[in-house]
Amino acid sequence: MESSERLPRESLLWIFAAQFAALLPQFAMLPLWIVGAWGFAVYWRLEVFRGRRDLPGRTVKLLAVVVAVGGLALSYRQWFALEPMVALLAVSFTLKNLELVSLRDAFLSLLLSYFVAATLFVFEQTIPYAVYGVICVLVITAALAAQTGSAGARPRRALGLSLRLLAQAVPLMVVLFIAMPRLGPLWAVPQNSDAASTGISDSMTPGDFSELSQSDEPALRMSFEGPVPPPEQRYWRGLVYSDFDGRRWSQGFGVDHREGGRVHWKESERPLPEVGPRYRYRVIQEATNSQWLFAMVRPDSPTEGVGETADGRLLKRKPVYSRFAYEVRSWPRETLGEPMPLGDFERRRNLQLPADGNPRTRAWAGEFRDSGLDAEEISARILQFYNRSFVYTLKPPALGEDSVDEFLFGSRQGFCEHFAGSYVFAMRAAGVPARVVAGYQGGEWVEQEQYLLVRQYDAHAWAEIWTPARGWQRVDPTAAVSPERIRDGLQSAAEEEFMGDSLLPLHRISVLNRLRLQWDMINYRWYRAVVSFDREQQESTLQRLLGEISPLRLAIFLLLPVAAVLLGVLAWIWWNGRGTRAPLSSRLYRKFCRRLARAGLERHPGEAPRDFACRVGEQRPELAPMAERITAAFEKAAYAGDPAAEKQLRRLLRRWSVVRGRQ
Amino acid sequence: MASSIRSLPDRWRHLTRRWLDRRAPAARRVTLNHGKLFVLPTRAGLTFLLVVLLLWLLGTNYENNLVFALAFLLISLFALLPVHTFANLSRLQLQLLETRPAFAGDYAEAQLSVGRGDGRARERLRVFWPQEAGGDGEQGAELDLIERHSADLCVSLPVLRRGRVRAPRLRVESRFPMGLFYCWSLVDLDIEFLVYPQPKSAGSLPIGAVTGDGESEQRIRGGDDFDTLKPYRPGDSLRHVAWKQYAGGRDLYSKSYDSGADARLWLDWDLLAGRDVETRLGNLCHWALQAEREQCAYGLRLPGTTIEPSLGPAHQKRVLTALALFPVQGG
Repeated sequence: MESSERLPRESLLWIFAAQFAALLPQFAMLPLWIVGAWGFAVYWRLEVFRGRRDLPGRTVKLLAVVVAVGGLALSYRQWFALEPMVALLAVSFTLKNLELVSLRDAFLSLLLSYFVAATLFVFEQTIPYAVYGVICVLVITAALAAQTGSAGARPRRALGLSLRLLAQAVPLMVVLFIAMPRLGPLWAVPQNSDAASTGISDSMTPGDFSELSQSDEPALRMSFEGPVPPPEQRYWRGLVYSDFDGRRWSQGFGVDHREGGRVHWKESERPLPEVGPRYRYRVIQEATNSQWLFAMVRPDSPTEGVGETADGRLLKRKPVYSRFAYEVRSWPRETLGEPMPLGDFERRRNLQLPADGNPRTRAWAGEFRDSGLDAEEISARILQFYNRSFVYTLKPPALGEDSVDEFLFGSRQGFCEHFAGSYVFAMRAAGVPARVVAGYQGGEWVEQEQYLLVRQYDAHAWAEIWTPARGWQRVDPTAAVSPERIRDGLQSAAEEEFMGDSLLPLHRISVLNRLRLQWDMINYRWYRAVVSFDREQQESTLQRLLGEISPLRLAIFLLLPVAAVLLGVLAWIWWNGRGTRAPLSSRLYRKFCRRLARAGLERHPGEAPRDFACRVGEQRPELAPMAERITAAFEKAAYAGDPAAEKQLRRLLRRWSVVRGRQ
Repeated sequence: MASSIRSLPDRWRHLTRRWLDRRAPAARRVTLNHGKLFVLPTRAGLTFLLVVLLLWLLGTNYENNLVFALAFLLISLFALLPVHTFANLSRLQLQLLETRPAFAGDYAEAQLSVGRGDGRARERLRVFWPQEAGGDGEQGAELDLIERHSADLCVSLPVLRRGRVRAPRLRVESRFPMGLFYCWSLVDLDIEFLVYPQPKSAGSLPIGAVTGDGESEQRIRGGDDFDTLKPYRPGDSLRHVAWKQYAGGRDLYSKSYDSGADARLWLDWDLLAGRDVETRLGNLCHWALQAEREQCAYGLRLPGTTIEPSLGPAHQKRVLTALALFPVQGG
């Protein structure tokens, strides 16, 4: 019945508007030909509407499907990923436009738009995208509402209706958002693995970190429960590099849990010290597309899906494809008691050096070993060496084959990775087990919102050495060269070079910096309250709201707002339907009558105003002039529609009450 | 076995009709309320639910709170919609204004008035006879009551049999605001149509025909051979005016036929002996229409009814009504 109806012009335009809104942010990600094809399909369909062209026949449609599938296959190598799925949706959108005939097609296309709009959130969960998503939903809902009537298809009417309906739905949505149980992933889904993200990678070559220092993207946000560590303690460990091939530092075999490295996933597997943790904090980490998390040394996390590795780092079971929040507790060294002796395998791993290369450093460090110094003395010597004649710079000169030799005895200008790498090399050459640690150091404390903001330029590399007495301990060679870097951050340590590659030195304008910080605070709230609202937060929120989480209370919590909203909407509809309000002049005249009634002069039902005025004049002559004027003004306002008379009526009434009050 | 299966839908229909009759009895003026209105999701509404489910799966698998929020927003919207759809029809007033007679095999029309009943605007209302009740579903009327408080509309129902035909329940439906729910009511506005027999051609008018036995065909033809000219009186058939003489400058005369005892045109049941009842009625109906068109005064003789010859809409209506209400003969 309905399917035979042709879609009117407004319907088509609404559908295309909704599609455009849903696709617009994806256009940047989609291959260009899909965008072109969509535009062409829309053009064709509009031409069909104008009667200049026919809808494509079966052959053309089949051809279009074949071409589209071929195009997708060429554009995307990998099928089980997010981008090709979204592209597939966009293509089916496009193809559907070529046979957009009936109301049913229209509905299908619009319902699909909701889904496309939702896929946007899988890529981005920031506030601007969320706002855009809301606009999308508004447009799509308006398009749905516009489908069945010409009066309803007018933009203002459709959008107004859509806005009203969605606004009414919001309270219910909030309740559902808080109370609906989150099940966790039901099956493995493709992730947008191709998305480029800045951050620390699983290996380190000279130059990596200076590149990161050009980015002021946020990396971590942390809020603390209890004490906040002082700046010199803010070392957020992410990766441990034990393997050096002469140029590149990497994790080495057997560390990654996929290669057999041990990870304690369950809390019960981890023996916790008897003393409570020193620091408790919650980290919100930006997407890195990798598994490692960032925490202070000796961490433990109660968050589901987060494990602890043998070298004291946190790992997520699945890569961090989107912003991820986790709880961390860190213990001080003293609580651990006697350090475990370093196993044979671990010792060899942390003394490993390439077979050859960097002969000068080996010889130099060998002297320390041969002179019988212990590990801490050797370390002190090397740090002293740095302190004497090295320069901390964001733009170190390029290094050749024997990079450590060239750095230590040639250029002597470097960034954190040069210092950490050469330090560990020298320590190993001197016979001390050592390793490079990469992560972030420092962060900006946001007083207003009480959180620590760590940006990409806080990326840092430092070292850890092993001594029999104390086990692994942190040594930061950069601190020997540039203590400001550790205390005040990169910006003050390398002020001249900081963000030197950016087009405009915006970071030097303090207003902008403040604005940026404000914006980050809003973002932080958004992430905490909405994006990272997980099962734990859900539980604590419900606990706070309900006192105790029982099925009965949950049901009441869910049903009460449903009932309230439905009743509210019904009341609103009833209120709107009370009949149109009487015009102002009648209301004013009725007021006049009520006053006279109180004075003992009741207007009979059906008595004309003029007759009533005459009767008033007879019974109460002193009221006659006023009654006369009011009646005249009312008649003029009500029957001649004179707005001036209406105003006069109001004025007269106001004055009359005053006069009466004086009497 | 087979018969019981076949009768099941019938019994169901019968039961629902009885239930409806009790719930919403026939009246010429009906106000829709919660007792008479029903709301269900449309097919698009069910698809909408499917999309929400897919969104929920997307949100669950990606642990994405914004997708969750969208899914919850849409499901909340879905929960609200039936209230709006219901409110769009609730308190709507329907009133039957008049029905017009129709011929069998044609469409019978009923004039209705639809009023808001309160101050709220109503949108996209459809009033029609549902297909299963004999309506073709498309002859319905669609209207908005946004600026006006009430509107008149015309709905038509195909009628097949003559007589007094009681119309089935009208369906009032709306899918406002989003087409995801439809709210409907089956109202009985006590609509009854007078349906005339379907006109069936039976040759030219039986002018001058005399009823008798057999060979009526030949006599029916009447003749052009008139006997005398009478001065024209208003009411005489124009067909019988002596135009030739008039053209020759003389006064207006009517030709007077002298083919039988009664010179007036009688549409007589007995002229059509040998045909079945409905065909006879159809033929008489056709003649009556033709005679009226040609302004030839005609009378009707049916078993048990005689209408004296005359002309004019009132007369035609009397004749056609007599034909329509002629008792159905056995079988």
